[in-house]
Amino acid sequence: MKVVAEGAEAIVYDTELDGIKAFMKRRIQKKYRIEAMDTRIRTKRSRNEAKIIAIVSKAGINAPKLIMFDGYDIYMSPVNGRKLAEISGSLALFGKVGAMLGKLHNAGVVHGDYTPANIIVDNGDPYVIDFGLSEMTNAAEEKAFDVLLMKRSAAKASYLRFLEGYKSESSDAKVVLERLVIVEKRGRYQSRTLT
Amino acid sequence: MAVLGIESSAHTMGIGIVDDGKVLCNVKRMYKITNKGLIPARVADFHSEGVGELLAEALEAAKIGIDDIEAVGYTAGPGLGACLRVGKVAALTLSKRLGVPIMPVNHAVAHIEIAKWHLKMKNPLALYVSGGNSQIIGMIDKPNRHYHIYGETFDVGVGNMIDSFARYAKLNPAWGSTVAKVAEGGRYIEMPYTVKGMEFAFSGLLTNAQKLIDAGRSAKDVAYSLQETAFSMLCEASERAMMLMGSKEVLICGGVAQSGRLKEMASIMCKSHGAKFGVAPDEYNADNGAMIALVAEKMFRSGQKVKDDDITVKQKYRIDSVKVNWR
Repeated sequence: MKVVAEGAEAIVYDTELDGIKAFMKRRIQKKYRIEAMDTRIRTKRSRNEAKIIAIVSKAGINAPKLIMFDGYDIYMSPVNGRKLAEISGSLALFGKVGAMLGKLHNAGVVHGDYTPANIIVDNGDPYVIDFGLSEMTNAAEEKAFDVLLMKRSAAKASYLRFLEGYKSESSDAKVVLERLVIVEKRGRYQSRTLT
Repeated sequence: MAVLGIESSAHTMGIGIVDDGKVLCNVKRMYKITNKGLIPARVADFHSEGVGELLAEALEAAKIGIDDIEAVGYTAGPGLGACLRVGKVAALTLSKRLGVPIMPVNHAVAHIEIAKWHLKMKNPLALYVSGGNSQIIGMIDKPNRHYHIYGETFDVGVGNMIDSFARYAKLNPAWGSTVAKVAEGGRYIEMPYTVKGMEFAFSGLLTNAQKLIDAGRSAKDVAYSLQETAFSMLCEASERAMMLMGSKEVLICGGVAQSGRLKEMASIMCKSHGAKFGVAPDEYNADNGAMIALVAEKMFRSGQKVKDDDITVKQKYRIDSVKVNWR
Protein backbone atom coordinates (compact mmCIF):
# COMPACT_ATOMS: atom_id res chain seq x y z
CA MET A 1 0.00 0.00 0.00
CA LYS A 2 1.28 3.41 -0.94
CA VAL A 3 1.41 6.04 1.80
CA VAL A 4 -0.59 9.15 0.87
CA ALA A 5 -0.08 11.11 4.05
CA GLU A 6 1.47 10.63 7.44
CA GLY A 7 0.22 12.44 10.51
CA ALA A 8 1.12 12.25 14.17
CA GLU A 9 -1.52 9.67 14.99
CA ALA A 10 -2.44 8.06 11.68
CA ILE A 11 -1.16 7.05 8.27
CA VAL A 12 -3.30 7.31 5.13
CA TYR A 13 -2.74 4.62 2.49
CA ASP A 14 -3.83 4.38 -1.13
CA THR A 15 -5.52 1.01 -1.49
CA GLU A 16 -8.38 -0.93 -3.02
CA LEU A 17 -11.38 -2.56 -1.43
CA ASP A 18 -13.16 -5.13 -3.62
CA GLY A 19 -11.85 -3.42 -6.70
CA ILE A 20 -12.92 0.05 -5.56
CA LYS A 21 -10.20 2.66 -5.13
CA ALA A 22 -10.04 3.83 -1.55
CA PHE A 23 -7.96 5.69 1.00
CA MET A 24 -7.45 3.88 4.25
CA LYS A 25 -6.68 5.86 7.39
CA ARG A 26 -5.06 3.71 10.04
CA ARG A 27 -4.50 4.92 13.60
CA ILE A 28 -1.11 3.67 14.65
CA GLN A 29 -0.11 2.25 17.99
CA LYS A 30 1.68 4.63 20.31
CA LYS A 31 4.25 2.77 22.33
CA TYR A 32 4.62 5.55 24.89
CA ARG A 33 1.05 4.91 26.07
CA ILE A 34 0.20 1.79 28.05
CA GLU A 35 -1.62 -0.63 25.80
CA ALA A 36 -5.03 -0.52 27.48
CA MET A 37 -5.15 3.26 27.20
CA ASP A 38 -3.81 3.31 23.66
CA THR A 39 -6.35 0.77 22.43
CA ARG A 40 -9.21 2.65 24.01
CA ILE A 41 -8.17 6.00 22.55
CA ARG A 42 -7.59 4.68 19.04
CA THR A 43 -10.88 2.79 19.00
CA LYS A 44 -12.88 5.70 20.34
CA ARG A 45 -11.38 8.21 17.96
CA SER A 46 -11.70 6.00 14.89
CA ARG A 47 -15.33 5.26 15.67
CA ASN A 48 -16.06 8.95 16.21
CA GLU A 49 -14.32 9.92 12.99
CA ALA A 50 -16.13 7.29 10.92
CA LYS A 51 -19.46 8.47 12.29
CA ILE A 52 -18.70 12.09 11.42
CA ILE A 53 -17.49 11.24 7.90
CA ALA A 54 -20.81 9.47 7.34
CA ILE A 55 -22.80 12.48 8.60
CA VAL A 56 -20.77 14.90 6.47
CA SER A 57 -21.30 12.82 3.31
CA LYS A 58 -25.03 12.71 4.02
CA ALA A 59 -25.15 16.50 4.34
CA GLY A 60 -23.82 16.82 0.79
CA ILE A 61 -20.55 18.47 1.78
CA ASN A 62 -17.44 18.03 -0.39
CA ALA A 63 -15.51 15.48 1.64
CA PRO A 64 -14.42 11.85 1.49
CA LYS A 65 -17.32 9.36 1.65
CA LEU A 66 -17.27 6.54 4.18
CA ILE A 67 -16.83 3.10 2.61
CA MET A 68 -16.07 0.93 5.60
CA PHE A 69 -14.90 1.12 9.18
CA ASP A 70 -12.94 -1.65 10.83
CA GLY A 71 -11.28 -1.27 14.23
CA TYR A 72 -8.56 1.33 13.78
CA ASP A 73 -9.02 1.54 10.01
CA ILE A 74 -11.36 3.83 8.12
CA TYR A 75 -11.84 3.25 4.39
CA MET A 76 -13.11 6.23 2.42
CA SER A 77 -13.41 7.46 -1.14
CA PRO A 78 -10.18 9.09 -2.32
CA VAL A 79 -9.93 12.87 -2.57
CA ASN A 80 -7.23 13.96 -4.97
CA GLY A 81 -5.89 17.43 -5.62
CA ARG A 82 -3.60 19.89 -3.93
CA LYS A 83 -3.67 21.30 -0.45
CA LEU A 84 -4.95 24.85 -0.20
CA ALA A 85 -1.87 25.48 1.95
CA GLU A 86 0.37 24.73 -1.04
CA ILE A 87 -1.37 26.83 -3.70
CA SER A 88 -2.25 30.50 -3.82
CA GLY A 89 -5.99 30.07 -3.63
CA SER A 90 -8.15 32.75 -5.29
CA LEU A 91 -10.46 34.92 -3.20
CA ALA A 92 -13.47 33.18 -4.73
CA LEU A 93 -12.08 29.87 -3.52
CA PHE A 94 -11.83 31.19 0.04
CA GLY A 95 -15.49 32.20 -0.26
CA LYS A 96 -16.33 28.57 -1.03
CA VAL A 97 -14.15 27.37 1.86
CA GLY A 98 -16.11 29.65 4.20
CA ALA A 99 -19.45 28.44 2.84
CA MET A 100 -18.31 24.85 3.32
CA LEU A 101 -17.54 25.49 7.00
CA GLY A 102 -21.01 27.03 7.34
CA LYS A 103 -22.56 23.83 5.96
CA LEU A 104 -20.46 21.68 8.32
CA HIS A 105 -21.60 23.72 11.31
CA ASN A 106 -25.22 23.52 10.16
CA ALA A 107 -24.84 19.73 10.15
CA GLY A 108 -23.74 19.96 13.80
CA VAL A 109 -20.11 19.14 12.99
CA VAL A 110 -17.18 21.14 14.32
CA HIS A 111 -14.04 20.27 12.37
CA GLY A 112 -11.42 21.06 15.00
CA ASP A 113 -8.55 21.70 12.57
CA TYR A 114 -10.03 23.78 9.75
CA THR A 115 -6.79 25.09 8.24
CA PRO A 116 -5.52 25.35 4.62
CA ALA A 117 -3.59 22.11 5.21
CA ASN A 118 -6.89 20.24 5.51
CA ILE A 119 -8.57 21.70 2.43
CA ILE A 120 -7.91 19.87 -0.84
CA VAL A 121 -8.59 21.75 -4.06
CA ASP A 122 -9.68 19.68 -7.04
CA ASN A 123 -10.76 21.39 -10.28
CA GLY A 124 -11.33 24.66 -8.45
CA ASP A 125 -13.56 23.09 -5.82
CA PRO A 126 -12.53 22.74 -2.17
CA TYR A 127 -12.88 19.44 -0.28
CA VAL A 128 -12.48 19.17 3.47
CA ILE A 129 -10.49 16.24 4.85
CA ASP A 130 -9.25 14.86 8.17
CA PHE A 131 -12.01 14.66 10.74
CA GLY A 132 -9.61 13.32 13.34
CA LEU A 133 -10.27 16.19 15.74
CA SER A 134 -13.93 16.70 14.84
CA GLU A 135 -16.85 16.66 17.20
CA MET A 136 -20.61 16.69 17.00
CA THR A 137 -21.60 19.89 18.76
CA ASN A 138 -23.56 23.08 18.28
CA ALA A 139 -21.53 25.05 20.81
CA ALA A 140 -20.72 28.55 19.52
CA GLU A 141 -17.39 28.40 21.34
CA GLU A 142 -16.21 25.36 19.36
CA LYS A 143 -17.48 26.80 16.09
CA ALA A 144 -15.68 30.07 16.81
CA PHE A 145 -12.42 28.12 17.14
CA ASP A 146 -12.89 26.71 13.64
CA VAL A 147 -13.22 30.27 12.31
CA LEU A 148 -10.29 31.47 14.42
CA LEU A 149 -7.97 28.78 13.05
CA MET A 150 -8.60 29.96 9.50
CA LYS A 151 -8.16 33.56 10.58
CA ARG A 152 -4.76 32.71 12.03
CA SER A 153 -3.57 30.80 8.98
CA ALA A 154 -4.94 32.78 6.01
CA ALA A 155 -3.99 36.21 4.64
CA LYS A 156 -6.33 39.02 5.61
CA ALA A 157 -8.11 39.48 2.25
CA SER A 158 -8.59 35.71 1.95
CA TYR A 159 -9.96 35.56 5.46
CA LEU A 160 -12.48 38.32 4.75
CA ARG A 161 -13.82 36.43 1.73
CA PHE A 162 -13.88 33.26 3.81
CA LEU A 163 -15.98 35.10 6.37
CA GLU A 164 -18.43 36.30 3.70
CA GLY A 165 -18.85 32.73 2.53
CA TYR A 166 -19.32 31.53 6.09
CA LYS A 167 -21.98 34.15 6.84
CA SER A 168 -23.89 33.31 3.66
CA GLU A 169 -24.23 29.66 4.67
CA SER A 170 -24.07 29.28 8.46
CA SER A 171 -27.42 29.54 10.22
CA ASP A 172 -25.88 30.86 13.44
CA ALA A 173 -23.04 32.96 12.04
CA LYS A 174 -24.03 35.95 14.18
CA VAL A 175 -23.71 34.07 17.49
CA VAL A 176 -20.49 32.36 16.38
CA LEU A 177 -18.81 35.60 15.32
CA GLU A 178 -19.85 37.32 18.54
CA ARG A 179 -18.24 34.42 20.38
CA LEU A 180 -15.12 34.77 18.26
CA VAL A 181 -14.65 38.31 19.59
CA ILE A 182 -14.80 36.98 23.15
CA VAL A 183 -12.39 34.12 22.41
CA GLU A 184 -9.89 36.47 20.81
CA LYS A 185 -10.04 38.86 23.75
CA ARG A 186 -8.60 36.19 25.99
CA GLY A 187 -5.00 37.22 26.29
CA ARG A 188 -3.38 33.98 25.29
CA TYR A 189 -5.03 33.95 21.89
CA GLN A 190 -4.15 37.56 21.21
CA SER A 191 -0.47 36.92 21.71
CA ARG A 192 -0.65 33.71 19.74
CA THR A 193 -1.96 35.08 16.47
CA LEU A 194 0.94 34.70 14.08
CA THR A 195 0.09 37.20 11.37
CA MET B 1 34.12 38.97 34.21
CA ALA B 2 30.74 37.41 34.85
CA VAL B 3 26.96 37.77 34.85
CA LEU B 4 24.87 37.04 37.92
CA GLY B 5 21.25 35.86 37.89
CA ILE B 6 18.66 35.81 40.66
CA GLU B 7 15.66 33.50 40.58
CA SER B 8 12.79 33.93 43.04
CA SER B 9 9.56 33.15 41.19
CA ALA B 10 8.24 30.63 43.70
CA HIS B 11 9.58 28.70 46.69
CA THR B 12 13.20 28.64 45.57
CA MET B 13 15.61 31.52 45.68
CA GLY B 14 18.58 30.76 43.51
CA ILE B 15 21.68 32.67 42.50
CA GLY B 16 23.80 31.60 39.59
CA ILE B 17 26.90 33.11 38.05
CA VAL B 18 28.00 32.44 34.49
CA ASP B 19 30.92 33.54 32.42
CA ASP B 20 30.88 33.19 28.66
CA GLY B 21 28.23 30.47 28.76
CA LYS B 22 30.00 28.59 31.53
CA VAL B 23 28.21 28.09 34.85
CA LEU B 24 30.53 29.14 37.69
CA CYS B 25 28.05 28.51 40.46
CA ASN B 26 24.42 27.64 41.06
CA VAL B 27 23.35 27.98 44.69
CA LYS B 28 19.87 27.96 46.17
CA ARG B 29 17.72 28.17 49.28
CA MET B 30 14.34 26.52 49.33
CA TYR B 31 11.33 27.50 51.41
CA LYS B 32 10.09 24.41 53.16
CA ILE B 33 6.71 23.55 51.66
CA THR B 34 4.04 21.98 53.82
CA ASN B 35 1.22 19.84 52.54
CA LYS B 36 -1.07 22.87 52.67
CA GLY B 37 0.73 24.69 49.85
CA LEU B 38 2.43 28.03 50.37
CA ILE B 39 1.57 31.61 51.30
CA PRO B 40 3.38 33.95 48.87
CA ALA B 41 4.01 36.72 51.44
CA ARG B 42 5.70 34.28 53.85
CA VAL B 43 7.88 32.92 51.07
CA ALA B 44 8.79 36.45 50.04
CA ASP B 45 9.89 37.19 53.63
CA PHE B 46 11.98 34.02 53.61
CA HIS B 47 13.65 35.10 50.36
CA SER B 48 14.45 38.61 51.52
CA GLU B 49 15.93 37.35 54.79
CA GLY B 50 18.22 34.97 52.95
CA VAL B 51 19.32 36.87 49.88
CA GLY B 52 22.43 38.53 51.42
CA GLU B 53 23.83 35.29 52.72
CA LEU B 54 23.06 33.50 49.46
CA LEU B 55 24.87 36.19 47.47
CA ALA B 56 27.99 35.76 49.60
CA GLU B 57 27.76 32.00 49.14
CA ALA B 58 27.44 32.41 45.36
CA LEU B 59 30.49 34.67 45.07
CA GLU B 60 32.52 32.29 47.17
CA ALA B 61 31.43 29.25 45.15
CA ALA B 62 32.20 31.02 41.87
CA LYS B 63 35.53 32.22 43.26
CA ILE B 64 35.01 35.76 42.01
CA GLY B 65 34.76 39.16 43.62
CA ILE B 66 31.64 41.30 43.52
CA ASP B 67 33.39 43.78 41.22
CA ASP B 68 33.76 41.08 38.56
CA ILE B 69 30.02 41.23 37.93
CA GLU B 70 29.29 42.89 34.57
CA ALA B 71 25.52 42.58 34.54
CA VAL B 72 22.73 41.33 36.78
CA GLY B 73 19.64 39.40 35.73
CA TYR B 74 16.48 38.57 37.65
CA THR B 75 13.32 36.62 36.99
CA ALA B 76 10.66 39.09 35.87
CA GLY B 77 7.93 36.42 35.60
CA PRO B 78 5.88 34.38 35.33
CA GLY B 79 5.63 33.65 39.02
CA LEU B 80 4.25 34.84 42.35
CA GLY B 81 4.28 38.63 42.54
CA ALA B 82 5.50 38.92 46.12
CA CYS B 83 8.37 36.49 45.50
CA LEU B 84 9.37 37.99 42.15
CA ARG B 85 9.63 41.46 43.70
CA VAL B 86 12.27 40.28 46.20
CA GLY B 87 14.51 39.12 43.37
CA LYS B 88 13.91 42.31 41.42
CA VAL B 89 14.78 44.56 44.36
CA ALA B 90 17.93 42.56 45.10
CA ALA B 91 19.03 42.71 41.46
CA LEU B 92 18.27 46.41 41.20
CA THR B 93 20.21 47.18 44.36
CA LEU B 94 23.18 45.22 43.09
CA SER B 95 23.01 46.83 39.66
CA LYS B 96 22.88 50.37 41.10
CA ARG B 97 25.66 49.72 43.58
CA LEU B 98 27.97 48.20 40.99
CA GLY B 99 26.88 50.53 38.19
CA VAL B 100 26.15 47.60 35.82
CA PRO B 101 23.15 46.88 33.59
CA ILE B 102 20.11 44.94 34.83
CA MET B 103 18.27 42.37 32.68
CA PRO B 104 14.68 41.22 33.31
CA VAL B 105 14.53 37.54 32.35
CA ASN B 106 11.51 35.41 31.46
CA HIS B 107 11.45 32.28 33.61
CA ALA B 108 10.23 29.95 30.84
CA VAL B 109 12.87 31.23 28.39
CA ALA B 110 15.48 30.50 31.05
CA HIS B 111 14.34 26.90 31.57
CA ILE B 112 14.50 26.23 27.84
CA GLU B 113 17.81 28.01 27.29
CA ILE B 114 19.66 26.18 30.05
CA ALA B 115 18.41 22.81 28.78
CA LYS B 116 19.40 23.79 25.21
CA TRP B 117 22.80 24.84 26.47
CA HIS B 118 23.37 21.67 28.46
CA LEU B 119 22.17 19.38 25.66
CA LYS B 120 23.93 21.36 22.93
CA MET B 121 20.75 21.55 20.85
CA LYS B 122 20.26 24.18 18.16
CA ASN B 123 16.54 24.59 17.61
CA PRO B 124 14.62 22.08 19.70
CA LEU B 125 10.93 21.76 20.34
CA ALA B 126 10.53 22.22 24.08
CA LEU B 127 7.95 20.69 26.35
CA TYR B 128 7.99 23.00 29.36
CA VAL B 129 6.28 21.37 32.31
CA SER B 130 6.24 22.73 35.84
CA GLY B 131 3.81 23.46 38.64
CA GLY B 132 2.04 26.37 37.03
CA ASN B 133 3.01 25.88 33.38
CA SER B 134 2.57 23.28 30.68
CA GLN B 135 3.45 24.49 27.21
CA ILE B 136 4.88 23.24 23.93
CA ILE B 137 7.29 25.83 22.65
CA GLY B 138 9.53 26.37 19.65
CA MET B 139 11.57 29.30 18.37
CA ILE B 140 10.44 30.95 15.15
CA ASP B 141 11.90 33.92 13.28
CA LYS B 142 8.75 35.61 11.99
CA PRO B 143 7.61 38.36 12.30
CA ASN B 144 10.56 38.75 14.67
CA ARG B 145 12.45 36.08 16.55
CA HIS B 146 10.50 34.75 19.49
CA TYR B 147 9.44 31.60 21.26
CA HIS B 148 6.10 30.53 19.85
CA ILE B 149 3.64 28.53 21.91
CA TYR B 150 2.32 25.68 19.77
CA GLY B 151 0.06 24.30 22.43
CA GLU B 152 -0.60 24.59 26.12
CA THR B 153 -2.90 23.65 28.95
CA PHE B 154 -6.37 25.15 28.82
CA ASP B 155 -6.54 25.21 32.60
CA VAL B 156 -3.98 24.19 35.23
CA GLY B 157 -0.31 23.24 34.95
CA VAL B 158 0.47 19.53 35.17
CA GLY B 159 2.60 19.89 38.30
CA ASN B 160 -0.03 21.72 40.32
CA MET B 161 -2.62 19.21 39.15
CA ILE B 162 -0.52 16.29 40.44
CA ASP B 163 0.20 18.12 43.71
CA SER B 164 -3.52 18.81 44.20
CA PHE B 165 -4.22 15.13 43.73
CA ALA B 166 -1.49 14.22 46.21
CA ARG B 167 -3.04 16.50 48.84
CA TYR B 168 -6.52 15.13 48.16
CA ALA B 169 -5.31 11.53 48.45
CA LYS B 170 -3.46 12.51 51.69
CA LEU B 171 -0.09 11.42 50.33
CA ASN B 172 2.87 12.63 52.31
CA PRO B 173 4.78 14.72 51.31
CA ALA B 174 2.14 15.90 48.87
CA TRP B 175 4.01 16.33 45.64
CA GLY B 176 4.94 14.65 42.37
CA SER B 177 7.74 12.33 43.45
CA THR B 178 5.47 10.82 46.12
CA VAL B 179 2.74 10.25 43.53
CA ALA B 180 5.31 8.55 41.30
CA LYS B 181 6.40 6.27 44.13
CA VAL B 182 2.83 5.38 45.13
CA ALA B 183 1.94 4.72 41.48
CA GLU B 184 4.51 1.93 41.11
CA GLY B 185 2.75 -1.34 40.39
CA GLY B 186 -0.69 0.30 40.08
CA ARG B 187 -3.41 -0.92 37.73
CA TYR B 188 -4.94 1.15 34.98
CA ILE B 189 -8.35 2.74 35.47
CA GLU B 190 -9.91 4.58 32.53
CA MET B 191 -9.80 8.35 33.09
CA PRO B 192 -10.64 11.46 30.99
CA TYR B 193 -8.01 12.02 28.31
CA THR B 194 -8.35 15.55 26.93
CA VAL B 195 -6.16 16.48 23.99
CA LYS B 196 -7.33 18.76 21.23
CA GLY B 197 -4.66 19.01 18.58
CA MET B 198 -1.72 20.52 20.44
CA GLU B 199 -3.77 21.77 23.38
CA PHE B 200 -4.75 19.83 26.46
CA ALA B 201 -6.66 20.20 29.74
CA PHE B 202 -6.17 18.62 33.16
CA SER B 203 -9.02 19.74 35.40
CA GLY B 204 -11.41 16.99 34.25
CA LEU B 205 -8.73 14.43 34.99
CA LEU B 206 -8.16 15.82 38.49
CA THR B 207 -11.89 15.88 39.32
CA ASN B 208 -12.20 12.30 38.12
CA ALA B 209 -9.23 11.20 40.25
CA GLN B 210 -10.74 12.86 43.31
CA LYS B 211 -14.06 11.10 42.70
CA LEU B 212 -12.28 7.76 42.44
CA ILE B 213 -10.57 8.39 45.79
CA ASP B 214 -13.97 9.30 47.30
CA ALA B 215 -15.37 6.07 45.91
CA GLY B 216 -12.71 4.16 47.84
CA ARG B 217 -10.49 3.10 44.93
CA SER B 218 -6.89 2.43 45.89
CA ALA B 219 -4.64 5.49 45.86
CA LYS B 220 -2.03 3.35 44.08
CA ASP B 221 -4.28 2.60 41.10
CA VAL B 222 -5.57 6.16 40.86
CA ALA B 223 -2.08 7.67 41.12
CA TYR B 224 -0.82 5.31 38.44
CA SER B 225 -3.68 6.05 36.05
CA LEU B 226 -3.54 9.79 36.66
CA GLN B 227 0.17 9.90 35.93
CA GLU B 228 -0.06 7.67 32.86
CA THR B 229 -2.97 9.68 31.46
CA ALA B 230 -1.47 13.14 32.06
CA PHE B 231 1.95 12.25 30.66
CA SER B 232 0.48 10.47 27.62
CA MET B 233 -1.53 13.61 26.87
CA LEU B 234 1.61 15.75 27.04
CA CYS B 235 3.50 13.36 24.76
CA GLU B 236 0.72 13.22 22.21
CA ALA B 237 0.40 17.00 21.95
CA SER B 238 4.20 17.32 21.70
CA GLU B 239 4.31 14.66 19.01
CA ARG B 240 1.84 16.60 16.91
CA ALA B 241 3.82 19.84 17.32
CA MET B 242 7.01 18.00 16.49
CA MET B 243 5.58 16.70 13.23
CA LEU B 244 4.17 20.11 12.35
CA MET B 245 7.53 21.80 12.93
CA GLY B 246 9.54 18.94 11.48
CA SER B 247 11.71 19.05 14.63
CA LYS B 248 14.65 16.71 14.87
CA GLU B 249 15.38 17.66 18.48
CA VAL B 250 13.03 17.61 21.45
CA LEU B 251 13.72 18.50 25.05
CA ILE B 252 11.64 18.60 28.19
CA CYS B 253 12.35 21.12 30.91
CA GLY B 254 10.83 22.57 34.08
CA GLY B 255 10.18 20.94 37.44
CA VAL B 256 8.08 18.05 36.11
CA ALA B 257 10.88 17.14 33.68
CA GLN B 258 12.46 15.44 36.71
CA SER B 259 9.84 12.70 36.43
CA GLY B 260 11.34 9.41 35.33
CA ARG B 261 8.19 8.15 33.68
CA LEU B 262 7.68 11.33 31.63
CA LYS B 263 11.30 11.14 30.45
CA GLU B 264 10.80 7.53 29.46
CA MET B 265 7.61 8.23 27.50
CA ALA B 266 9.01 11.27 25.70
CA SER B 267 12.11 9.31 24.79
CA ILE B 268 10.04 6.46 23.29
CA MET B 269 7.99 9.00 21.34
CA CYS B 270 11.06 10.74 19.91
CA LYS B 271 12.77 7.46 19.07
CA SER B 272 9.79 6.37 16.95
CA HIS B 273 10.35 9.47 14.79
CA GLY B 274 14.13 9.32 14.74
CA ALA B 275 14.38 12.56 16.69
CA LYS B 276 17.00 13.36 19.30
CA PHE B 277 15.61 13.59 22.81
CA GLY B 278 17.17 15.20 25.83
CA VAL B 279 16.61 16.45 29.31
CA ALA B 280 18.96 18.46 31.51
CA PRO B 281 20.04 17.28 34.99
CA ASP B 282 17.55 17.89 37.82
CA GLU B 283 19.64 20.78 39.12
CA TYR B 284 18.60 22.80 36.05
CA ASN B 285 15.00 21.60 35.86
CA ALA B 286 14.24 22.67 39.40
CA ASP B 287 14.12 26.46 39.64
CA ASN B 288 17.65 27.84 39.74
CA GLY B 289 19.69 31.01 39.35
CA ALA B 290 22.14 29.70 36.75
CA MET B 291 19.47 29.66 34.05
CA ILE B 292 18.60 33.29 34.78
CA ALA B 293 22.29 34.26 34.63
CA LEU B 294 22.70 32.37 31.36
CA VAL B 295 19.87 34.26 29.64
CA ALA B 296 20.87 37.58 31.23
CA GLU B 297 24.31 37.07 29.70
CA LYS B 298 22.83 36.37 26.26
CA MET B 299 20.71 39.53 26.53
CA PHE B 300 23.66 41.56 27.79
CA ARG B 301 26.12 40.31 25.14
CA SER B 302 23.60 40.82 22.33
CA GLY B 303 23.47 44.46 23.37
CA GLN B 304 19.90 44.51 24.60
CA LYS B 305 18.89 47.91 25.97
CA VAL B 306 16.69 47.84 29.03
CA LYS B 307 14.53 50.87 29.80
CA ASP B 308 13.55 51.79 33.37
CA ASP B 309 9.96 50.84 32.55
CA ASP B 310 11.07 47.30 31.72
CA ILE B 311 12.51 46.77 35.18
CA THR B 312 9.38 45.33 36.63
CA VAL B 313 7.72 42.04 37.51
CA LYS B 314 4.88 40.44 35.56
CA GLN B 315 3.06 37.58 37.24
CA LYS B 316 1.72 36.37 33.90
CA TYR B 317 4.74 37.15 31.73
CA ARG B 318 4.14 35.02 28.64
CA ILE B 319 7.07 33.53 26.79
CA ASP B 320 5.68 34.54 23.39
CA SER B 321 5.88 38.22 24.32
CA VAL B 322 9.66 38.07 24.85
CA LYS B 323 11.82 39.57 22.11
CA VAL B 324 14.75 37.24 21.43
CA ASN B 325 17.97 38.79 20.18
CA TRP B 326 20.15 35.73 20.32
CA ARG B 327 20.34 32.33 18.65
